[in-house]
Parts: sequence; structure tokens; C-alpha cells
Amino acid sequence: MFPSQNENLQIMSHAVIGFPGLEENEKAIAGLADAGVRLIELQVPFSDPVADGHTLVNACYEALKHGGSVRATLDLAQRVCKNHPEVTFVLMSYLNPLYRYGLEKLFEAAAAAGIQGMIVPDWPVEEIEPWLPKLDELGLAPILMVTPNTALQRVARIARASRGMIYVVSRMGVTGHETQWGEKFQRYIAEIRKHSDLPLAVGFGVRTIDDLSALQGKAEVAAFCSQYIEWQRDDGSEVAAKRMKSLIKSMGAN
Amino acid sequence: MIRSDNGYFGEFGGRFVPEILLPALTELEDLFFGLRDDPEFWQEYLTLTQEFSGRPTPLTPLRRLSKKLGGAQIWLKREDLNHSGAHKVNNVLGQGLLVQRMGKQRVIAETGAGQHGLATAIMAARLGLDATIYMGAEDIERQYSNVFWMRQLGSSVVGVTTGAQTLKEALDEALRDWAASVETTHYVLGTACGPAPFPELVSYFQSVISDEIKQQSMQQMGRLPDEIVACVGGGSNAMGAFGAFLENPEVTLVGVEAGGISLEDGQHSIRLSQDTGETGIAQGYKTLFLQNDDGQLGDTHSIAAGLDYVGVSPILAYLSQQGRVIPDSATDDEVTEAFSLLMKTEGIIPALESSHGLAGGFKRARQMKPEQNLVINLSGRGDKDIFTVARAFPQPEWTGFLQREAQRSSEILKQKGAH
Repeated sequence: MFPSQNENLQIMSHAVIGFPGLEENEKAIAGLADAGVRLIELQVPFSDPVADGHTLVNACYEALKHGGSVRATLDLAQRVCKNHPEVTFVLMSYLNPLYRYGLEKLFEAAAAAGIQGMIVPDWPVEEIEPWLPKLDELGLAPILMVTPNTALQRVARIARASRGMIYVVSRMGVTGHETQWGEKFQRYIAEIRKHSDLPLAVGFGVRTIDDLSALQGKAEVAAFCSQYIEWQRDDGSEVAAKRMKSLIKSMGAN
Repeated sequence: MIRSDNGYFGEFGGRFVPEILLPALTELEDLFFGLRDDPEFWQEYLTLTQEFSGRPTPLTPLRRLSKKLGGAQIWLKREDLNHSGAHKVNNVLGQGLLVQRMGKQRVIAETGAGQHGLATAIMAARLGLDATIYMGAEDIERQYSNVFWMRQLGSSVVGVTTGAQTLKEALDEALRDWAASVETTHYVLGTACGPAPFPELVSYFQSVISDEIKQQSMQQMGRLPDEIVACVGGGSNAMGAFGAFLENPEVTLVGVEAGGISLEDGQHSIRLSQDTGETGIAQGYKTLFLQNDDGQLGDTHSIAAGLDYVGVSPILAYLSQQGRVIPDSATDDEVTEAFSLLMKTEGIIPALESSHGLAGGFKRARQMKPEQNLVINLSGRGDKDIFTVARAFPQPEWTGFLQREAQRSSEILKQKGAH
């Protein structure tokens, strides 16, 4: 289940399939679920992830060496969706691995595995629209991205094609750097709300408890991804899950 | 020139980019569509290439070599005589005119062999723009002389250390920079690839090559050539050499890809000619990519850094599918042989990229008749390849010189450090 509009902020976290390894992914996801995370992106690693910063680029590179692939992601999805019914899993991928697998076959397989949404950064709204009937039939929600420089007319079009949530790219650039959450950002959020009742997931630059506090009451979901992958990389999945747990606790205390 | 159908050429092309890049691409497209049919704009562009880059470049007959091979008369379109030493400068000067109209103050570029980076650095210096050039760390090692000159010209050259550290990764990194800087920065894409409108826009500026070949062959041969041969990396020099001839079906067009060491995965960069490339969508566009069953883009190899690319122009993928362009390939060994043959017989030093066109062209010329004419696009000169060529033809005196020069350089550095 995706959150509804105006629900309290919750964290969406991340797994790059194959990073640091396929078995470790399963444990890491269990750790995240145990920490209270209710939204998790399963990222298919890709050789050329152009919307990602260095943390995720390097994680993709490692993941491909350790067996990460579309098939591995679908296999894992089947297990984690069954083991963690309280968590909503979202497939995140660049277009080519999905295209190569066969889009229709992929959508069916993803929905059958229990995946509920899909984020594909290099798949523009014009190309998604023809697939909407199929995706709606499968209950697979395309979560499209809006960026600070997206024209208003286009925001409306993206909002119409989005299901589940709208992914709000917080600032210009790629994943993994800092972001400012001032008045300009709030006006940007307010503009998107005019076009949609869907909950907003804010991503790119959510790295600290301060970022999360700043987003409380402004968005329903914060994509806490690169920082989590850095914890996982530097200190292992167990420590990363513990940090996530205390982060979620301190969010509740705010 | 060929026109896209809403960014597509048959099934290839399109614009598959993160949302953040879209406004800059539509801005560029609107500007380009507004200018491309304006004769005054084309004249402004031609004047710039004449004043700054030495156009038109000559069409040189290879009399001795043609006789030696015993087939068609071979002609070289001398893009090596451009300022900066390659055809890359045509596209860059054209995009420079667009940058000025957009009022952007910074440019970025990806580069493989460094020729496009060098041309961009030259344009940036001339127009007073900031320039950042992304180049694979592997390619930096292979083409250091170009890196040296880009830095001397005031550009910042950033080595890309992800993946195989070649052109594909440099392009990824340039796109990442652009995602953060798109409002103030123009991305000078160097080849006829990437998201629309780049394939069409780059081919438009490069078509000056085939316009000239057409005029020159009427003057020098009295008719159009029978065949035109060009090497194919991303495809910009090939699209330049072929563009104006697409309306002349009697002229055979041949694109020569990098056959590398062998047909094994990772040992070549053949996407068109051997069913090695598969349709995919990456780096902003749909084309034939070298990729595995999981859709991961593959590793490539060529002796020529500028041909070492995993995708290919969507226009060439389409023309090759239609049978209008005949794809061929040349191995590293065939290339060094053709390189050496041209130098020793005609006194011209070709780039290793362009030597693929030579290898493919010489092979075809041998099968043709002496009254036929074959034009090879010599897209660049070989000065930049001095280190690679020295490795292909190893000589102790060169190694000795490098050791002495390294010694001298470090002594100069030490003295400077002491002051």
C-alpha cells in the first residue's frame, strides 16, 4: 500500500540487487523491514546509470559483478514480497534492462512477484502513457518524476500518468548530494500539489535527520537511499539497519 | 539531409532522458528547428568554418596508391586539414553559434580520442566560455597529447574512472554534470548519437563535408563518385560524408566499424555489420548497442580510442537496416597496415580512427575498375596517435628518447620546486 495524502512522513529505502551480494540483499531487506521501513526500492543494477551519483554508480558496478540482473531482482522480489507483506516494494530500474527482458513480460512478472510500483528515470511520460491500461490492469503503479525545471503543463501530464506516488526530484543534479529545503522548495511542492492528490515522495539529497525533519508535513515519503547504501557499504547491512531504526525512532519523537 | 520523424529514424532515435534534462533538449530543438532552413544561418556557419577552420578542405587524389592497388581511383576528403586536426570542429563551431544564441556561459563535452574535446576547448577559448571535458581515464592514457592541449587551452579535463573508463563512461558523466548545470550549461555532444535533437543536429553541421565532396567531385571527376567510405564510431564523420548523397542512390555508402582484435565480446566495437549489436535504449536514445542478455551495455575495444563506442548513430542504424549504408569492419592489424601504406605512398599521416576507413576503402577499391572513383573520408590526422603508433611499430630509439625526456621533465619540475 502506498501512503495517502497528508499521512506522516515515512522513509523509502533502497536495495541495489547484487550489492553487496544477493544473499546479503535478503538479510538487509529483512533488517529494513524490522527497523520499520514500509517502502523499499529494489534497484536493478545497470552499467550506465546516468541519473545516479557516484555512490549508486559504484554500487551498480559491484552489483553486476555479484550476479545482479533483472532475473535476480524478480527472484528476490518474489521472496521478499512474500516474507514482508507489511512492506510495499517498488522496482527501480533504467529502461534498457527492462526493455531487453521485454516490457510486457517484465510488467507481468513484476506484478506476479508482488511488486506494486515502478520507478524508471529514463522512461519519459510520452512513452509510458500507451502502457497505462496494461499497468492499471496489473496494479503496477508507474511512479513518475517531476523536477524543479519541469514546465507546469508537463507537471500536469506527469501527474495524470502517475499512480501510487509522484517522485519529486528535490533539486538539479544526480542522487547523493545535499539539498536545501527552504521557501523555494516549498513553493515547488505546493505547485505539484495543485495537479495531484497523490502522495509525494521526495528524493535526491535526503541524508540526515535534519533533512527528514524539514520534510515532515511537506511530503509523505522521503527517499533515503544513497546515505543508506553508504552505511551498508562502509559498515555492513546490520549496522545500516540499526541506524535506520534509530533514525525512524527519532522521526517519531519529533 | 535526412529528417527525423519526431526524433525517430525508423524505430531508432527518440529521447529517453531523466526528466531534468528535457527542458534543455526541447530548448535546443526549438532553436535548431528555427535555424536549420535559414540560408543566412547556414552562410554564417560556412563563413565561420572558412575563417577559422580552413574550409573547404581539399579532395586529394591518391594517384600513386590507386595505381599500386590497381583498382578504382581513390580520393581522400581531407578533414584532417581542419583546424584542430579532425572533422569534429565542424560540429563544435556550429554548436558554438547555438550557445551564443542561448546565452549560456559554460560548455561541457565527452570525448574519446580527445579530438572532440580539443575542438570544444578551442571553441570555448575563442568564445570566452568555461569548458569541462569528460574523458575516460583509459582514453586519457591513450591520447595524452590531446589532454595536454585541452588543459593548455584553459579547459578543465576530468578523468572518468567508472566502468571500462572509455567513451561510454565519459558520456554518462557528462550527462550527470548536465543534470546539475543544465540551466547555465550547454552540452556539446560530439557525435550523431544521444537524445534528439543531437543526432540530427550534429549530422546537419557535419553535412558540410558531403556538400563539399559533391561540388568537388563534379569539378575534379566530372561526376559523382561511385562509392564513399567513412569510419564509424558514433557516426558523425560518416553522417557528414554521406548526408548529401542520401538523395543519390547510385552512390554506394560504406561505413567501416572497428573490428578490433577479434569478434569475441569486448574485443571489438562492431554494432552494425555482424549482428553483434542489439536494439536497446540507453544514454538517451534507442539504437543498436553491444549488450548482454540482461541489457547491460558491453565492453568495447579498438586500437582507435575514437571508435571504441558501444552504441551507434540511430540514423546509421536505420540507414544500415534499410540497406542504404553498407556496414563493414576492419581489424586493428588491417588498420595499422593501411595507416602505414598511406603514409609511405602518399605522405599523409592519418588518424587511427580514419585508418579504418582507409582499410575498408582500399579493400573495396581493389575490386573496382580504374574508371571508377572511390572517396574515403579522412576524418582526422594522426599526430595525436604518436604514442599508440610507436607501440604498434616498436623501436628502441623511441623508448630511449622517452626515458631521456622523462628525466629532463622531472629535473625541470625539481628545479621549479626548489625556487
